[in-house]
Amino acid sequence: MNRLPQRASTTIDLAALRRMAGVRERLGQPRLPPRNFSRDVPGDEIFPGLRYLEQCFAWPDAPSELDLTFARLTTARREHLLHFDTETTGLAGGTGTRAFMIGAADWHDGGLRVRQLYITTMAAEAAMLRTFSEWIDADTVLVSYNGKSYDAPLLATRYRLARMANPLAGLTHVDLLHPMRRRYRQIWENCKMQTAERKLLRIVREDDLPGSEAPRAWLTYLRGGSSGDLVRVAAHNLQDVRSLSGLLVEAHGWAALDAQDHSLHGNEK
Amino acid sequence: MAAYLKARLTDEADSALAISHDGSTLARRLSDKYSDRVATAFTVFGREGRFVPLPDDLPSGLSKALMARGIERLYSHQQEAWEAARSGRNVLVSTPTASGKTLCYTLPVVSSVLEAGAKALYLFPTKALAQDQVAELLELNRAGDLGVKAFTFDGDTPGDARQAIRLHGDVVVSNPDMLHQAILPHHTKWAQFFENLRYVVIDEIHTYRGVFGSHLANVLRRLRRICAFYGVRPQFILCSATIGNATEHAQALIEDEVVTITRSGAPSGDKHILLWNPPVINPDLGLRASARSQTNLIARVAIKAKMKTLVFAQSRLMVEVLTKYLKDVFDHDTRLPPRIRAYRGGYLPTERREVERAMRAGDVDGIVSTSALELGVDIGSLDAVVLNGYPGSIAATWQRFGRAGRRQQPSLGVLVATSAPLDQYLMRHPAFLTEATPEQARIQPDQPLILLDHIRCAAFELPFIAGDAFGPDDAGPYLQVLAEAEVLHQEGERWEWIADSYPANAVSLRSVADGNFVVVDRTEGRQTIIAEVDYSAAALTLYEGAIHMIQSVPYQVEKLDWEGRKAYCTRTRVDYYTDAIDYTKLKELECFDGSKAGEGSARHGEVHVVRRVSGYKKIRYYTHENIGYGPVNLPDQELHSTAVWWQLPQSVLDDTFRSRQHALDGFLGAAYALHTAAVVAVMAEPRDLQKAVGSGDGGWSAQVDAAGRGQIRAPDGGLALPDALERFLPTVYLYDNFPGGVGLSEPLFLRAPELVTHALATVEGCECKAGCPACVGPVLAADENREETPRALTARVLRLLGAAA
Repeated sequence: MNRLPQRASTTIDLAALRRMAGVRERLGQPRLPPRNFSRDVPGDEIFPGLRYLEQCFAWPDAPSELDLTFARLTTARREHLLHFDTETTGLAGGTGTRAFMIGAADWHDGGLRVRQLYITTMAAEAAMLRTFSEWIDADTVLVSYNGKSYDAPLLATRYRLARMANPLAGLTHVDLLHPMRRRYRQIWENCKMQTAERKLLRIVREDDLPGSEAPRAWLTYLRGGSSGDLVRVAAHNLQDVRSLSGLLVEAHGWAALDAQDHSLHGNEK
Repeated sequence: MAAYLKARLTDEADSALAISHDGSTLARRLSDKYSDRVATAFTVFGREGRFVPLPDDLPSGLSKALMARGIERLYSHQQEAWEAARSGRNVLVSTPTASGKTLCYTLPVVSSVLEAGAKALYLFPTKALAQDQVAELLELNRAGDLGVKAFTFDGDTPGDARQAIRLHGDVVVSNPDMLHQAILPHHTKWAQFFENLRYVVIDEIHTYRGVFGSHLANVLRRLRRICAFYGVRPQFILCSATIGNATEHAQALIEDEVVTITRSGAPSGDKHILLWNPPVINPDLGLRASARSQTNLIARVAIKAKMKTLVFAQSRLMVEVLTKYLKDVFDHDTRLPPRIRAYRGGYLPTERREVERAMRAGDVDGIVSTSALELGVDIGSLDAVVLNGYPGSIAATWQRFGRAGRRQQPSLGVLVATSAPLDQYLMRHPAFLTEATPEQARIQPDQPLILLDHIRCAAFELPFIAGDAFGPDDAGPYLQVLAEAEVLHQEGERWEWIADSYPANAVSLRSVADGNFVVVDRTEGRQTIIAEVDYSAAALTLYEGAIHMIQSVPYQVEKLDWEGRKAYCTRTRVDYYTDAIDYTKLKELECFDGSKAGEGSARHGEVHVVRRVSGYKKIRYYTHENIGYGPVNLPDQELHSTAVWWQLPQSVLDDTFRSRQHALDGFLGAAYALHTAAVVAVMAEPRDLQKAVGSGDGGWSAQVDAAGRGQIRAPDGGLALPDALERFLPTVYLYDNFPGGVGLSEPLFLRAPELVTHALATVEGCECKAGCPACVGPVLAADENREETPRALTARVLRLLGAAA
């Protein structure tokens, strides 16, 4: 057997490496705007770097059991529903994208409760994932918009990297994107969540921070910058999960509506 | 007329030989009949097989499957590999072509799947080899009803199949590029696979050299990092063709020790090798007949003697021309299945599979191929191999010859020399081929830019903790640079990926640009894709007017849609083929740094390399006369890269050399010697670091012509004489053959004085007379008696550049 070639450990010249990487020019630029800005963030810190927000919304006439035939499922009891949405560091996919905020809405004491978790340090990610797990049990029915292809796999990756069991695995998951597409593809200009929200729930968002801005907003705060846009991300996420519950109730009504439609048409004949 | 007479003569030769032969008798007959052409004949003696029974500890299901496939015993090296793998060692199998390397890894891998539900990852350099491998595993699986699930996983794998492969694949057969871009960055989806990963098999490791090899070594570092995360430490089983340093190369790739198995137990027949120099047809000019005509003659004789024959040609064009000539003899009856087939990159995969199948089934008598068949594509065994020209390396020559030889049968291998100086040198000095050690494979995985790329990818896959090494070095400085570029975020001890990008997509392991061209047949209103041509070859083969041949059927390119990557062509009947005229020139864009080098200077900076196809020649079949030219208007093939270069002022050259031609010849020799020294100095693969001689102001470029002299090409592509130039500033360039440079040339600049001195030491210490491939490049026989030899001129240039003798 040959001996392994001995490779001398070398210390690379940092300046040379910077030049090669082409980051020299960038370094000269000031990192942060020199003016005063706010670092205030909403919610309570429930673990170092993990913040928690909770709000309740009255919704007196919500159905207690939801008809899920629109999603090719049977029914679900209202208290089992968990509407969720994540805000992430990007769309690149793979192991390098993380969720920094998870919002979830459920029915609690007769109203809609929205709970939001977000992290202000990377190290708090595990605590966030652990807390989110506690909100889920075997009866939970997940509700999302495009969550089957985006949020759920992303969280699965994060749980795997954190060496934790994935609480979403095996649960019933109602992804509203697909039923919306089936029903409105020919009618609306697109089937994005905000379109559905506007057409079906008559909600128009004001001063909404586009989802694509979320990564930058969080990074700015993480790097010591302003919290202004991060606050707007939280508001955006809150509206997302509230709308999810509204859209679900809407879709729940389709079966009855279609049956009615059908019998009306039947009578005309 | 002469051509006709020659054809008659060779026909007579054919009839004399038109009886059944084997490699031994045919080699003797050829040597007797053409003694003036056979420069050297020798025999590589075969050996008896060394067989051992199937190991006792082989799972019984696998033993039964092997027996059902007719394998009732093993070669001794297969048993050695089995034992080494079973004892938990990393294994390198470096035995000749066709010695049954596959079984060396199939046995331990399949056993571990059957016994422990373990998983294995196979990496092959090409998709075709991966497909072969899966087909073979499936056959074994079927024979024993083993239930082993093997899949290819490459760019062609449909999205919906990927999930099933990740979850259920026992053996996943892929390539380094997929591991780098699709598997590692998504490792969480492969969690079950990694948790059970027991073996990593890498075949054809001799192909992972230079920058490509350095990339692979870093991809393997990332793989080991991911494996550690899942708590496994897979064993490596590696296979290599015969190269000068297989063990060292394997250990450099996986950064761990290997047990090397080199003694093949497979029986082999004697191999009769002829080095064949085409006859002199014009003694006054020293002109020889073409290699093509001789290759054609030898292949024809061998096929008529009922020997299955493989011809290797150096270019795709030559494959088609030789195929046509052989088809004209053997396939004139188009109602019969073809006896002659061509095989090369650029054919559609289905066409290639079909040729492979026909070869294996023995339905084809002659096959003409590019280096595509050098690797282990299974085409069954052959009786004769003819090389049309020296492939450029000793290792590749033996690998190609290795394609011939059925079990105990004597086989024939003929190397036909072209007029290229290196080929002619080989004919005069056959020891260069027979006695020298095959080339070494070199990699330099710790080259900073490559390291930076892979640390970037690795940080995306798993965060780094302060003090983590990547390879032998602390990753710290790299992480800091990446954090400064805002792709990483440091928090306490951890460096986490933070950017919204997918870094593996920006790092290509191979230098070739992507974007294949498709060739569309429009004959009689058809719209059929008949071929694919990779980007690098498109400009040379798909210009408008080009005759593009598929299995030697000519199509004429009518329209080339460069942006859309499509070439439209129609069937044609012409008596000529076309050959592109191209040249390369360099222009300095920015000088980063410079220093004095003897009487001249050495510099380092950014350069612009332009490869231009200026036109094409129409060449008539058989007579090979030039019957016309056509213009080509294509975008230049451009490369921005970094380079190191040396030049001497005109006044110094005027004082020292008798003529500018002498100075130019000296520069071309110096480029050759400096390139050799540089490749060793930075452990580069010659193809990754290119050399060029041109004018310092980017005007003209120079290369060695067929007569062994420096030849100058003016900016318009025409030839020019050195004395006619207003300014004469010859410059030697060594440049990174990668877009943006890959970091080879900066260290070369820093070591410029040392390089020049090394180059001179090689030239002066060489035992040759006028110059040879070991020092200034091959020289023609006529130059050996020149007053001022290329070797002397080169030494003078190097001394002027400050070489310390």
